[in-house]
Amino acid sequence: MSAVIKESAQADQPLVSLRNLNKYYGDFAAVDNISLDIKEGEFLTFLGSSGSGKSTTLSMLAGFETPTSGEIQVEGKSLIKVPPHKRDIGMVFQRYSLFPHLSVRDNIAFPLTLRKLQTAERERQVDAMLKLVQLDDFAHRRPAQLSGGQQQRVAIARALVYEPRILLMDEPLGALDKKLREELQDELRHLHRRLGITIVYVTHDQEEAMRLSQRIAIFSHGKIVGLGSGYDLYQNPPNAFVAAFLGNSNFLRVKAQGDAAAQFESQSLAMRPTAGLQAAQDLLLMVRPEKAQALTSQQAMQEPLAAGWNEIGATVNEVVFLGESLTYNVVTAGGTSLTVKALSGNLLPLQAGAEVRVRWAAADACVYSEWSESDLSKTAGAH
Amino acid sequence: MLLTPNAMGPRLRIGLYLTTGLIALFLLLPIVFIVLLSFGSSQWLVFPPPGWTLKWYEQFFANPEWMASVLTSLKVAVLTTLCAVALGLPTAFALVRGRFPGRELLYALFTLPMIVPLVIIAVAVYALFLKLGYTGTLFSFVVSHVIVALPFTIISIINSLKLFDQSIEDAAVICGASRMQAVYKVTFPAIRPGMVAGALFAFLVSWDEVVLSVMMASPTLQTLPVKMWTTLRQDLTPVIAVASTLLIGLSVLIMVIAAALRRRNEVSA
Repeated sequence: MSAVIKESAQADQPLVSLRNLNKYYGDFAAVDNISLDIKEGEFLTFLGSSGSGKSTTLSMLAGFETPTSGEIQVEGKSLIKVPPHKRDIGMVFQRYSLFPHLSVRDNIAFPLTLRKLQTAERERQVDAMLKLVQLDDFAHRRPAQLSGGQQQRVAIARALVYEPRILLMDEPLGALDKKLREELQDELRHLHRRLGITIVYVTHDQEEAMRLSQRIAIFSHGKIVGLGSGYDLYQNPPNAFVAAFLGNSNFLRVKAQGDAAAQFESQSLAMRPTAGLQAAQDLLLMVRPEKAQALTSQQAMQEPLAAGWNEIGATVNEVVFLGESLTYNVVTAGGTSLTVKALSGNLLPLQAGAEVRVRWAAADACVYSEWSESDLSKTAGAH
Repeated sequence: MLLTPNAMGPRLRIGLYLTTGLIALFLLLPIVFIVLLSFGSSQWLVFPPPGWTLKWYEQFFANPEWMASVLTSLKVAVLTTLCAVALGLPTAFALVRGRFPGRELLYALFTLPMIVPLVIIAVAVYALFLKLGYTGTLFSFVVSHVIVALPFTIISIINSLKLFDQSIEDAAVICGASRMQAVYKVTFPAIRPGMVAGALFAFLVSWDEVVLSVMMASPTLQTLPVKMWTTLRQDLTPVIAVASTLLIGLSVLIMVIAAALRRRNEVSA
């Protein structure tokens, strides 16, 4: 992680730098020594459960919270002593936070009025914004007369109209229903592409984070525990916590046998070559459910095991049909529970109680030598 | 659900209407009597009035003492309202937004005048002002009225401030407004119904206050209720009924305004 930060800092000056940022409430560290670079024009998402420190970090960036220690810089200049109204940052809040006594037009014009723009110029910019968020016909309505999605569009327009360098969004779609949320996610992605503005987005919804962002910072207990593209974080989670947090995952407890093999429940498995392992060291293998296959004994006999693949025996515990996909919950002889996910297309579903052979490519399994037990549960991350 | 009018059967329903009607009558009858008597021709307040007249109103409006008391009442009420809002607004902000030890205690302190018997406050303030030589001045009326009006104003503003989503104010700040600008341009308009209601309450409290006012009054400076009280002790004239009617009239008018404002606010919200 630190190598990534150094590299990008040398390549091009980051727009925003957070350096050793801390926020304590009494003895409690809401944000615990965070360092992060945000590149110009990128869409970065803070992903984490509630209480993981993501919103507090955003609040410090906006200026509503003062860091206990650490530095926030925009283009090398410290923001710590700059009050929020002089930071030239745009922000969209979870509950829209429109001014209830002003019309849509006056809401959007508010930042420009404060900046004492000439009337004609102000009207021109407001018109352009109304068009951008497709609310031309609603300009004279009050916020209370708009739907949730329309209100959030007004909030976005109000945050963009003064052309801030950075747009902060604090769970802006949290209050909307799923369909509308996905619509607005697409709109937002297009808007970002069109305007090239730097967006820092906060959400607890990992699908939303994946759908929107170029990079994701995963927060847990006030720290950033994973930083990278959604693809990298999902395919090669840097640690067991990220593996458990993002998507679904199977964990196998194994003991190292050399640097490319491990023992699992009295059988030997191939694994990714991993340096620096001690003999019989406890390791964790992580296999994504869709990377594993479940075969009947018959199928397993017909299809010989490819090189670099592992196979273990298990019993089907439960089969769940999900439309396009099918998940099997299987249990090994040693009692390890695994989930295998397959496209339902041309498969005959296995029955509960059936004996199956579970296979996966050793290269697809991540190896972790350090973890804490709480990392492996889905609900981890909040204080 | 069992107690909806339709579910309780005709007998119970009629009984309910009857008791409700009687209670309303009990509450309204004195007011109706006094208003009718102010138009009655009998000098001895005979009911039902033998005839109808406006002469008591003529007497009331022609009497400089009565007029002076009305003017004093209005002055005191307006000044009390202004002071109560000016003091209540920052107090409400501190009590809602502030994070300091003793906040609950301070809230209790500010609302204490609603619980303490009025006569105790009156004696205390009277003793103080007597010592300072302020009795019989407009200042003493306003100060004593503000003491009892302030809790109503504070509670009214606190309620609307608690309902106000502070992230709206934060939104104004991030848009480029300083905190004070944001409060003026966004928070005040949003809590205006609470401020107006608080102001009207303060006005009403002052307008019909009598216990404190009797203590503060001098023969030359009297509010309308005090003038009624002193007049009543000398003789029973229908002019009192006129004063009562006007007192009630303005109170009702203010209640109607408050209700109308509340309704308009509910519609637009």
